[in-house]
Amino acid sequence: MPEAAALELDEVEVRYGSVSAVRNLSLRVGKAEIVGLIGPNGAGKSTTLHAVMGLLPAHRGEIRLHGQPLRRRSAESIARAGIALVPEGRRIFGDFTVEENLRLGLAARRKGYMGDPLAPAFELFPVLREFRRRPAGALSGGQQQQLAIGRALVSRPDILLLDEPSLGLAPLAVDGIFKAFTEIREVGTTILLVEQRAQRTVALASRTHVLVGGELRMTLGPADAEDTEKIIAAYLAS
Amino acid sequence: MSVLASIDLNTLGDAFGLGAIYALMAVGIGLVFGVLRLVNFAYGQLIMAGAYTLAYTTSWPVTASIVACFAVVVALSLAMDRLVFRPLRSSSPAVMLVTTFAVSFLLQAVALIIDLRDGTLGEVASAVAPLNQAITVGGVDIRKVTFVAVGVALGALVALALVLARTTIGLHTRAAASDFRTARLLGVRANRVIGFAVVVSGLLAGAVAVLLTVQNPFVQPAFALEDTIVVLVGVVVGGIDRLWTATLGGFAIGFVSVLVNAALPTDQTIFLPSVVYALVIVVLLLRPAGLFAWGRRAAMERV
Amino acid sequence: MRLPFDALTELLGPALLVILVGALATTASASNEGYFLNALVSVSVVVAIYVFVGISGVLSFGQISFVAVGAFAAGVMSVPVESKKGVLTSIFPFLRDHSVGNVPSLLLAAALGGAFAFLVGMPLMRLSGLAAGIATFAVLEITHNVLREWDKIGPGATTLALVPETTGALQATLGALVAIVVAFLYQRSRRGRLLRASREDPAVARSVGVNIHLERLLAFTLSGALAGFAGGLYVHLLGSITTEQVYLELTFLTLAMLVIGGLTSLWGAVIGALAVSGLDSFLSRAEQSGVHVVYTFNLWEGTRLVFLAAIMALVLIVRPSGLTGGREFRLRRIPWRGRWAGASPKPPG
Repeated sequence: MPEAAALELDEVEVRYGSVSAVRNLSLRVGKAEIVGLIGPNGAGKSTTLHAVMGLLPAHRGEIRLHGQPLRRRSAESIARAGIALVPEGRRIFGDFTVEENLRLGLAARRKGYMGDPLAPAFELFPVLREFRRRPAGALSGGQQQQLAIGRALVSRPDILLLDEPSLGLAPLAVDGIFKAFTEIREVGTTILLVEQRAQRTVALASRTHVLVGGELRMTLGPADAEDTEKIIAAYLAS
Repeated sequence: MSVLASIDLNTLGDAFGLGAIYALMAVGIGLVFGVLRLVNFAYGQLIMAGAYTLAYTTSWPVTASIVACFAVVVALSLAMDRLVFRPLRSSSPAVMLVTTFAVSFLLQAVALIIDLRDGTLGEVASAVAPLNQAITVGGVDIRKVTFVAVGVALGALVALALVLARTTIGLHTRAAASDFRTARLLGVRANRVIGFAVVVSGLLAGAVAVLLTVQNPFVQPAFALEDTIVVLVGVVVGGIDRLWTATLGGFAIGFVSVLVNAALPTDQTIFLPSVVYALVIVVLLLRPAGLFAWGRRAAMERV
Repeated sequence: MRLPFDALTELLGPALLVILVGALATTASASNEGYFLNALVSVSVVVAIYVFVGISGVLSFGQISFVAVGAFAAGVMSVPVESKKGVLTSIFPFLRDHSVGNVPSLLLAAALGGAFAFLVGMPLMRLSGLAAGIATFAVLEITHNVLREWDKIGPGATTLALVPETTGALQATLGALVAIVVAFLYQRSRRGRLLRASREDPAVARSVGVNIHLERLLAFTLSGALAGFAGGLYVHLLGSITTEQVYLELTFLTLAMLVIGGLTSLWGAVIGALAVSGLDSFLSRAEQSGVHVVYTFNLWEGTRLVFLAAIMALVLIVRPSGLTGGREFRLRRIPWRGRWAGASPKPPG
């Protein structure tokens, strides 16, 4: 019997009222793997992450963490079970200092870690250590995104969910965070990445699923990254 | 100048004393508002319950009596949270407010029944009454309770500020007040944060019960009701979205009431409420987000 | 204005219910009649509050100010001239030397309530949320303070007595019907629908050119006029009144009635007023002499308020959207339900 996937969605359906935003979605994310989720606006990508995080109930189907179903657990308890979401728009606390924002991430950390609890964030993004006393609202957009990712990492999650982390960032800052994703995977963290930058995502992830109209349309591998036509066709396949 | 001339040190002392007590109540109300978005009209009845406890334990040693007061108020505060606030967490502000009206009337009605068992209305809480004596400072008589009230208020505010700034629960509470959804997403335990706010708010109500019974030892079911209404007004005028503006609002309305009272000619003090509430309207029209709510995004951080 | 069948049931439900209560009042014993009349006057007050709070979505603690102004205007002007010299000694001479009949006193109450609301509303209707709640509360405090202390316009802190008790079953019923019909016509009118739309989404309403300030002011004034009218009915029911009777407790009780019934519908206002009044009457009777309904309810003395407050809190916790769910009266349940409770629904099919 194969080892249970780190995160597994099994025929999941999510509804807003009577409209289903995600239908019959099944996917597996293995340990220390990056899986991408791309698709046009309104395809149900963020909805999927919200369902995993317990912010939205799954109308049908099951979501499992290490084989354990997450049904009816609250966002706060899912966070403490080892899933961290970096939400769209970053959602940092602008009036708090950088360090306070990072310390909030510790709320979901499980027991048994030694040393500086903020080290995972500082090692990956040294600028956060430098600016630790500044109000988070005073950071640049790229630094705020680093802070949001750092805040998720200090909880030492097994699985990191990223919701359009490159949105609104300058090209250099985008390079920075994509490089960080590789480093995060290398320490054994699993990543489910929702992105609009399709080509970069396909190149980075071991598999990238294309979601159109709430349904899984196609799965691309790193080899498809150069095949722009195939990616565009996947988007338009409706 | 005639206004200033009528204000002496004695009045100033009273103004600080009442301002301090109202500031404590404002923190108690503002803290719960911060995490629950609920204006607790029944806050005054927590204080009332504490005052009755002091009255019924007058024969006990002072310390035991005060401890009993705190215990009753905190227990009642937690019960209110569990039975009323939590089920209402997703309701509209109007429903939450009106429910706390009902809770307020309920507690007053229960107090009335308990109070009337001895056949007379009202009880006397005299355990801490000696604080009401005056001491002379530089030729001016100032009541001891003024110093105690200002001292307790400052001590409590500094302690709370430290807890909010330095501890994990304080950080979590501030985060929850600022953006509850994101805080929960990060694993902040909603029930723990709300519990913290409710307990601290109860402790403050206990302290206010002690201070108010010194000034007015005659306890009846409407005890602290009027004060609560005035503080609620002050809290909104100051800016309910942030704890510190709310506190300043509470202090200001107590302080200003005493001063306006002293400044008005004796035969006009009957119109004191009109003057104070007219000021309230003017301030709200000029600064609807709160008198002290300065800065770019007045509603960003709420604690 | 088009009034399809569903719209008429929206009016007929509340109207028939009020007529039924009025009819019951005429058959009740003298000692019970007061409960029914009180319930009917409560309907007038709560419908008046609904016209502003329910339709605009802005919380106001100030509507009882207009009830108070109406009650004292109608009361002072209805006490017979020969009695006034004895009971209202320090009042302005022109108030002392004139009195008016029953119906003119009610119209005067409505006019003064409306005019006062208009004046107050002009600056205050720019506010919303808690700021509006507290500012309107400040109006209540000032009104109460002035009525209580200024004995040139009324009885001051003493009781205003010798007001003719003309609010019997007929007047109480007609009064409540007037309030209901006015509220109904307003919420069905274009302006009423605009204001309700602005409650759902102020930004969108503004962007399509709705002047929210003006629409709110209109509703506030209309609500003030109805509240003044209800105050007139109230003083003519009681025969004597003090400023304390039209102050905090009435404010909280009537707001609770509205929220318990369902804040956003006329049906909710009527149901809330009647349900809470009915419960209160039942508990008073049970406390005094026991009520026999299958089982004899006999309350321990002093527990009426405990039960009343506890039941109100319980209803709000169990049903936060009120007994009616904030929906209008309908004869049959239709599957399609409009976003705006006041908008004309299309008949199915």
